[in-house]
Formats: sequence, structure tokens, C-alpha cells
Amino acid sequence: MYREIFNITLLQNTIRTATPLILAALGGLLTSHTGILNIGMEGMILLGAFFGVAGSYFFESYLMGILFAVASGIIIGLIFALFVIRLKSDEFIVGIAINMFAGGLTMFLLRSIFGVKGAFSSPRIQPLPDISISFLENIPVLNVLLNDHSLFVYVSWILVIAIYIFLYKTPYGLWFRAAGEFPEALDTVGISSNRIKFISSILCGIFCGFAGVHLSLGYLTLFTENMSANRGFIALAAIIFGAANPLMTYVAALIFGFFDALGIRLQGVGIPSQFTQMFPYIVTVLVLILVVKRERDKKRAHQARQKGLDKSQIKAADNLAK
Amino acid sequence: MKKLKLSQDLEYIFSLALSVILALIIGAIIILANGKSPFTAYAALINGALGSPYKIATTFAKTVPLILTGLATAVAFSSGIFNIGGEGQLYLGAFAAAYVGFTFTNLPGIAGIPLALIFAALAGGFYALVPALLKVKYGIDEVITTIMFNSIATLFTSYLANYPFASSVGKMGATEMIAPAYKLLRLVARSKLHTGIFYTALIALFIYYLMEKTSAGYDFKMIGSNPIFARYGGINAERNMVIAMIISGALCGIAGAFEVLGNHYRFLQAISPGYAFDGMLVSLIVKNNVLGVILMSIFFGMLKTGSIAMEYETAIPSELVLVIQSIIILFIAGEKGFANILRRIYAKEGAGQDV
Amino acid sequence: MGESIIKLVGITKVFPGVVANDNVNLEIREGEIHAIVGENGAGKSTLMKIIYGLYQPTDGQIYIRGRLTNVTNPQVAIKNGIGMVHQHFMLVPSFTAAENLVLGSEPQKNGLFMDFDKAVKITKELSEKYGLYVDPYQKVEDLSVGIQQRIEILKVLYRGADILILDEPTAVLTPQESQELFAIMRRLVEDMGKTIIIITHKLQEVLEVSHRVSVMRRGKLVGTMDTRDATEQILAEMMVGKEVVFEKFHANQNIGEKLLEVRDLVVRDNRGFIAVDGVSFSIAAGEILGVAGVEGNGQTELVEALTGLRKLEEGSIFVKGRDMAKGSPSDFRRMGIAHIPEDRLKTGLAPEASVNENLMMGYQHKKPYEGLGMKLNKKAISQKTAQLIRQFDIRTPSGQTRVKSLSGGNMQKLVVAREFSFDSPILIIAQPTRGLDVGAIEFIHRLIIDMRDAGRAILLVSADLDEIFRLSDRIVTIYEGKLTGEFRTADVTKQEIGLYMTGKNLSTAG
Repeated sequence: MYREIFNITLLQNTIRTATPLILAALGGLLTSHTGILNIGMEGMILLGAFFGVAGSYFFESYLMGILFAVASGIIIGLIFALFVIRLKSDEFIVGIAINMFAGGLTMFLLRSIFGVKGAFSSPRIQPLPDISISFLENIPVLNVLLNDHSLFVYVSWILVIAIYIFLYKTPYGLWFRAAGEFPEALDTVGISSNRIKFISSILCGIFCGFAGVHLSLGYLTLFTENMSANRGFIALAAIIFGAANPLMTYVAALIFGFFDALGIRLQGVGIPSQFTQMFPYIVTVLVLILVVKRERDKKRAHQARQKGLDKSQIKAADNLAK
Repeated sequence: MKKLKLSQDLEYIFSLALSVILALIIGAIIILANGKSPFTAYAALINGALGSPYKIATTFAKTVPLILTGLATAVAFSSGIFNIGGEGQLYLGAFAAAYVGFTFTNLPGIAGIPLALIFAALAGGFYALVPALLKVKYGIDEVITTIMFNSIATLFTSYLANYPFASSVGKMGATEMIAPAYKLLRLVARSKLHTGIFYTALIALFIYYLMEKTSAGYDFKMIGSNPIFARYGGINAERNMVIAMIISGALCGIAGAFEVLGNHYRFLQAISPGYAFDGMLVSLIVKNNVLGVILMSIFFGMLKTGSIAMEYETAIPSELVLVIQSIIILFIAGEKGFANILRRIYAKEGAGQDV
Repeated sequence: MGESIIKLVGITKVFPGVVANDNVNLEIREGEIHAIVGENGAGKSTLMKIIYGLYQPTDGQIYIRGRLTNVTNPQVAIKNGIGMVHQHFMLVPSFTAAENLVLGSEPQKNGLFMDFDKAVKITKELSEKYGLYVDPYQKVEDLSVGIQQRIEILKVLYRGADILILDEPTAVLTPQESQELFAIMRRLVEDMGKTIIIITHKLQEVLEVSHRVSVMRRGKLVGTMDTRDATEQILAEMMVGKEVVFEKFHANQNIGEKLLEVRDLVVRDNRGFIAVDGVSFSIAAGEILGVAGVEGNGQTELVEALTGLRKLEEGSIFVKGRDMAKGSPSDFRRMGIAHIPEDRLKTGLAPEASVNENLMMGYQHKKPYEGLGMKLNKKAISQKTAQLIRQFDIRTPSGQTRVKSLSGGNMQKLVVAREFSFDSPILIIAQPTRGLDVGAIEFIHRLIIDMRDAGRAILLVSADLDEIFRLSDRIVTIYEGKLTGEFRTADVTKQEIGLYMTGKNLSTAG
């Protein structure tokens, strides 16, 4: 039984289950860098999933599915930004409202457009393609693990790298981080921090749209009510766990994906999966406690040093010149 | 008595009314887009919610969890601590009540029901205590921890209902039935309205008294209004926040208990479709005003009940009301921002006339 | 001295209810250090923010190098060579010095990536060029304020500014650091041909560093003159005006027992720096001890420590002989300390709550206001609040009105009414009349004197020297968290106090 559970397929499944988490978390970490805690990701994913299916069904094209999901992401990101930034509404109220809105709207549209309740599938829905990478085919383990995944699995990997570079290697990344930490610093040099926040919100909407379309056209080929199934909140946990660093968040999402995949298989052999599913939430709370403790220690050390700091630094800086 | 504050409150009631009307108009546009008449639809909705004793009973049955979780939100939020973990507290409370109900099967209802409610309140209150302590001791954002705690509680109770306490007969993810003595009486034939509504009314009265008539309520509200001022004035903000949070959790626990004792007669792993979130939105819409929570809960209960009739008569899916509700909360959340923008436009026009 | 480089014509700025700038005409010449002085709230900062494009004037024109310019945002100002060093530094704490320096105008490579090496190089080069040395790799959160200010100035220079606006630059600096800053300013003007506008309210600095000086009072520009024609007396008169001469209060003869005693008090500020450094004093019943000092020298932290709002690092506070070192704010209140805080809106009031709710803070757990079952006795409370509203002449439409809609003077009267109504033997009073009009000032001053005559021990902290002199029986001066002198009010002049406040004669002071 042990081998039935812990094998290469488990890791392969991990990659699949982690992908929507990665995509949503990447979006959410962008807003978290610009100083917005987005708890509306759950709803944004759900909208992406629904409109992905709708686009793919009506045009019988997965590309249109992606396009619809992206469009829904842009619109909901804009609405989020409009309320949080322009109208200065409380971000978590808006987030909760968006979750409720998405849940209601998708159920409503599911019934009024497709005339079904609960779930919708149809042979007309074109799934996202699996990607074959030819050079991997001859490598035994890696081939099973990394090859023939759905499109957005690879997209998510590329995005992790791209966003890491964006945040830490480009001027715009610097602006994003400044907008969250000290917006006035940005405003006084003539760059609107609110504009940066707007952009991050829209990007978050798009990435959550990706996550949704991956769920409904990549992971499965159907839409079910509430199919985001708490992934928005697990993504939030991954962001906190990974301290909003794309690489660490990626690792966190993989770990959470692993426990998700493990839970599914455990359930298959009759072992409770609830505790593996609980894992992301529990570690997130633990991480929060650890972070606070570390910062307290840091502050204490900082205070101890502070006394002589002023004069010695001026001296040190002046000495640098010599 | 409250003349001048009233004028400011009136301003709020006006914008609330405007939000509701705008949301209903957007709903009407959606109905039109579906090729139906909004008038027929809304008429069906109102008739479905209030058209007969049975319908009214159903409306009020739906308000029970809304009022309790709404009050839970009001107590916590007006004390400046943001309990978003109501759903988790509700699940634990529901399980605790069910546990009492299927374990102490020999108790008469008069002892058993209060015992189940107390267990539920303790479970919910204790579960709320943890994030509250993390907040006041370590400054950890309670919004995030309570969100995490929601998932932990639903998963944990789902484990309990599927494994150690799984029902021996029938349903998956459900516990044994509670003993008959625990079942709350149904008040109107066929409807789900049970005596829990009386308990709810009593609890609401108590919370109203607590928040509006006592020094404790005053302390809570001052902390929520300006925590620095409260501390300066000698109020122990931390202790009060923890107390508010425990009360909030206990109320959610009791909301869960009523779902078990009055509705399902057992614990189910998906016993709440997000009642605590609905209740939170209700409370946010009325700015955590106790009276407002009750009225808005009834309104939401009407929408829910009426929407089923609307669907039956006009084939407009009942989920439309979810969309309408979320739009109301969005408008209310943006209320201040909208007002500022309007004021600026108005000021500009005024300045233009001078020239 | 050169041509006119900035010319303001008829600048007026109206905020809701306040005229911050009133028809200001000002000319800045190329290559000068131009000081703008005035009391708190005279409109200096607003005027500078208008030049820098952070505010739009309600009326008036700005000419930069003779060209009428519409400075709609800071970008326009930067393009025109104007840079501003803000009083509160605009630096991102977790970024390095170099990253902060280039933020918004980053050097790039390959058209997309940021060139961090280049940023460091730029920082080093600019450091070298202007003699403002900073370590490019260090994070701002680990740097002292003096160094942070250097980064701010470099930031402005990096953007090619040749007109620098320095907003209260010495407020956060030690005297040595201020001297260094002045040297840098002279170098920038004399060697590099820059023009500098410096805002300050310290007159000695003006005389020391500027070429010309403009004085503002209540939003108006009172006058501009060459610094060599100016003296402290002339400037002070222009700043304060001669409009109000308050009558003196009679001194109190009945000094009672010692009620408050502070020994070797050490307190840290929010950033962990020592803010109050070994302060000792005592106050007896029936006397007012005034604490004179330039703002930010530890007064805020001292007051917070004396009311239980801030933890003590070392030392002790005795209230009627009892050590309060570990007391909570409510312990201090129970022991008989009432507190008028320096920031009424932030600390002293709940602006969203009603007048009555604000007045009853502190009464809610007392009889007869609280009855059985914690029930509030609405009748007793409304009688009490109505009486306070009447007695202290709080102008409010009703007790149910929200505090935020009251005027500043009435808000302050509300705070005073509440705090004075407790019959607390000790009153800690900070900035009691800040931003109030003459009538309200007079009213509150009389109340304070009445409390003194009724035998209260009063600590009065104020940035307004006139207020200190008018009310205090004794005066202590505070500078950098230390008490630099103690005087009987009758035995000392304002000039002398001014010297002790600014750290002079430290060695000879007690």
C-alpha cells in the first residue's frame, strides 16, 4: 500500500495540483508587494474557470477559452482596483464581496446560459493542449514527471521566473515594491503609486484567470459550482509561507500541491485526507508566528545597537570617502 | 432624542437605500437580458417571501443563522477585531451540539438543549480565542489567521463526521442523529421555522442590551472607533478585544447548533453554505449596528426565500439574489469614495458658476 | 547674486475652512540661500508644496526662470530643475541607499533590466562630487537620520535639480549634523551654483546660513530682507506680530505638598532610540511646571511615560509617593492623573463618535453612571455631559453630534472639559492651545490657572514660549531628551530660555 501511494505518479500529480495555486499565488504576491491583501482571489479563479469554459464551448477553441478567462480577469481586477484604490474601500470587504459575487454569478450564468445546475460539460469544450517536449522523451524519470503536462503547467514555470526577474531585476519591480512599502517615496518622484497598485490588481485578475482556466480546461474539462474549492485561500497561504518571494512562493505552492495530491490518494485507499488538506493552513499560521518572533528578536538587537549608531555611521560613511 | 446624530445616520440610510435600489436595478437589467419582465420577477419574489404564513415562516427560518452570525460580526467588528472565522466557529459549534445530542441521549430536552447550546458556544468561543490571542500578544493579523482557521475547522469536523463519529447508517460525512428530545419544535407546518427563532430573539435582545446599554458595549465601541483614544482613556483594549472575539465565536457556535438541533438533526460535513460570510456581509452593510443586522437579515431572508418562488414562476435562476447581495455590499463599501467624488464634481461646478 | 529664478505672484491656497496661503508674492534669486521662516502653521510648507507641484494653488502664478509655468505635479517641477527634500524622508526602508537614490529614474541595461551596478556607481560619484558620503549598499532602515538626509539630498541632485527646497532640514538633526548640513549647503551654492530655499523656524540658523530671508505669518508673506540687515529681534517680531498682548496672571502663593516626582527617567521612542534621557523633576500641588523645548526633543515620550502610555526604560515615577513604574494608563488615571494630549484628534478623541460618548470616557465604570449589570445610567450621563457642555462652553448643536464636525477650538474644549472634570490632583497638559484662535486660547489659559489655584499639580508642555511664560511658575528646558536648565519664571527671560532650549550653555546648566 505504501508503494501505491508514494510513487512517481504522486509527484506528477503534485505538479498538476500545484499549478493553479502557483498561478493565483503569483498574482496575489504582486498585489501583496504593492500593499494590497487580496482575499478575492478565490472568486477571481472561479470567474476564470467559468469564462474559460464558456469561451471554449462557444467558439470550440481553447484559445478563446483563455481569452475569455483573461478578459474576465482584467474586468474583475479593474473592479477590485476601482473600489480598493479609487474609492478607498476596505480591501478585505471588497475581496469577500468579489468571492460572493463570483459564486453567485457563475451559478446564475451556469443555469441561465447552459441550463444546468451543479456542473457543465460538453464535447464542444476544447481542453487546453498537453505539451510534449521531445528531448525529455528519452530521459526515464524526468519524462514521466515533467513531460506531457497541460499548457499552463509550463506557463506557470515560465511566469515564476519572469516575475522573479520583473520584481528584483527591473525598475518596474522596484516601483512595485516601493508602492507597497512606502508609496510616498514613489509619488514624490513623480510616479503614481496608485497607478502601480491598479496595474498589480489587474495582473492579479489575469493570473487568477489563468489559474481558473487551467482548472476548468486543463486539469478537468468541465465547470462545476465553486470549483475553485478554497484554492484562492491556499494561494494566499503560499504567499505568506513564501514571504511573497516568487521562488519561495513557488516552493510553498508545490508543497501544498503535494499534500493535496497525497490527500486524494490517501482517500483512495480509505485513509482520512483531511489532515493533509489542513496542512497549508496550519503551517501558514505557524509561519506567521515565527515571522513575528523573528522580527521581535531583530528589533531587540536593533535597539541594542542603536545607541551608538548615529555618530559611528557618520564617521564610517565619511571614512569611506578616504 | 438623537436628533443631530440622526441627520448623519439619515445620510447613511439614504445611501444604503440607494445602494439597494441600484443593485435591484442591475438585477432588473440582468432579468431583462434573460428576456423576462423584471416586474413579474420581483413581484414573484416578494410574493414568494411574504405571500402566505408558510412563506413568511420560511423567510424567518432563513434569518436565524444570518442574525446570529451577523451579530457575531457586529460585536467583533465594532470592537476593532475582524473575525472572519465565523464559518469555522459555526462548524465547531454545530459539531459540538450534535455530539451532545447523540451522546447524552437520556437527557430531557429542557436540560439537553441548553447543554448542547452551551457546548456549541464554548466550542465557537474557544476557537475564536486563539486568533484573538495571537493578535493581541503577537500582533498577527487576525484576518489571515481566521481565514486559515475556517478551513482547518471545516476539514477537522469533516474528519470527525467521516471517521470517528461517522453515522452507522446512511449518509456519508454525517454523524448519528441526535436524540429526539433535542429536536427543536417546528412552528409552522412543512416550514423549517423552529423554536430556535425565539432563542435567537432572546440572544439578539441580549446583544442589543450589551452593545447599546452597558458600559462594556461602550468600551467595545470606543476601541473600534479609536483604539488609541480608548487606551488613553484607561480602557484595556487588548482584554476587551479578546472578550469581544469570544462572544463573537460563541454566537457563531450557537448558529451552528441551531442548524443541527432545528434543521438537520445531525452534523453534516457541509452543514453551512457560508452562513457566516452572509452574516458578515449583513453586518458590514449596516455598519455593525445591532438593530440594522436584524432588519437586514430579514431582508436577506426575504431575498433568499423569494428567489425560489421567482425561479419557479419566471425561470430566472434564484442565484440572481447572490449577485444582487454582493453588488449591495460593493456599493456600500464604496460609499465614502463615491460621496467624495460626487462632492468634488459638485464643488467644481459650483466654482465654475462663480466665474 | 543672480537673476530671479522663481517668482510667485499672488499665490493663494484655500483648504476647506482654512486659507493656508494668502496672496503670497515671493522672488527667489539664482545662487542664493533663501530662508523662509514662520511659526507652525504659518503656511511655509504649503507654499513649498505648491512650488513642487504637490498642491495646486487656488489662485496665482508661478514663474520659473521667467516663464509662466503650471506646476501640475512633481514631475513638472523636477523637469524644471526643482527638487524637494521633505521633512519626513521619502525613502523606502528595505531598499539600499543606491536603490532609493535612483528610484523613479533608474539606470537601465538592455532596455529592460535595472542596472544595479550603475546605480551604485552613480551613488558613489555623486557622494564624491558633493561631499555627501553614503554607503550605497546599506539598507535605509539601518541608517541614521543624518545619513538618510544625505540620501534625500543626493536623490534631488541626481535628478538634476539646481533649485533645492529643504523643508525643516535641521528638525531631525543633532547640532553637529546641522553644522555639517550648513557647510554642504554653502558648498552647493558657492561651488556648484545651486539655489537653495530652506524652511525653518529656528532664527539662529537663518542668520547663520542664508543670504535673504522671508517671513510668513498666518498664510501671508510679511516681508523679505537681506539677512545682513536682520536680527533675531526683528525676525521674531515679524514672525509673531504684535497683535495680541495677553495680560499676566497673578502668581500662586499656596504651594502644597509634592504630588508628582520623576527620578532619572529614561524612555525610548518608537524607533528604539533613547528619547528621554535621565530626566528628574517634581511638581507640588498648586504649581505649574512648564517644559520648554523645540518640538521633538523628547516631550512627546515624556508625556506618554507620565500617563502610562509608554513603557519606562529606567527610572521611576512617583505619584503621591507611590511608584508607578509598571502602571497601565488606567492605573495612572486611578491614581489621579488626567491628561490633555498633544494630538487631540489622534489620542484625545474618537472623532467618529458623538460629543456625549467622548465626554463620558472615564465615567462609564463609575457610579452613578454605571448601575447594576453594567447598565449605563443614561439619565445621569446626559445630565453630566450637558453640564460639561454648558460649563466649558462647548459649541455643539447637540450632545449627539459627531465630534469630527466640531471646530478645533470646541474639540479642545471637549478634551479639557472631560479631563478637568475628574478632579484629578495631577494634570499633564501638552500643547493645550495648538491651532486655536485667540478667544479659545484665553479661555483655556484661564481654566488652567483656575485648576492651579484649586491646588492641582500641573505639568505643561508647549512649543509656544509665550504660553509657557504666561502660565508656568517654574520652567525646565529640554534638549535632546535631557533637562538643560530649571528656573523660576520670574527670574528668567525668554531669550535665556531660548538658549537653553537650543542646547547652548549645556555645560553650565544643572
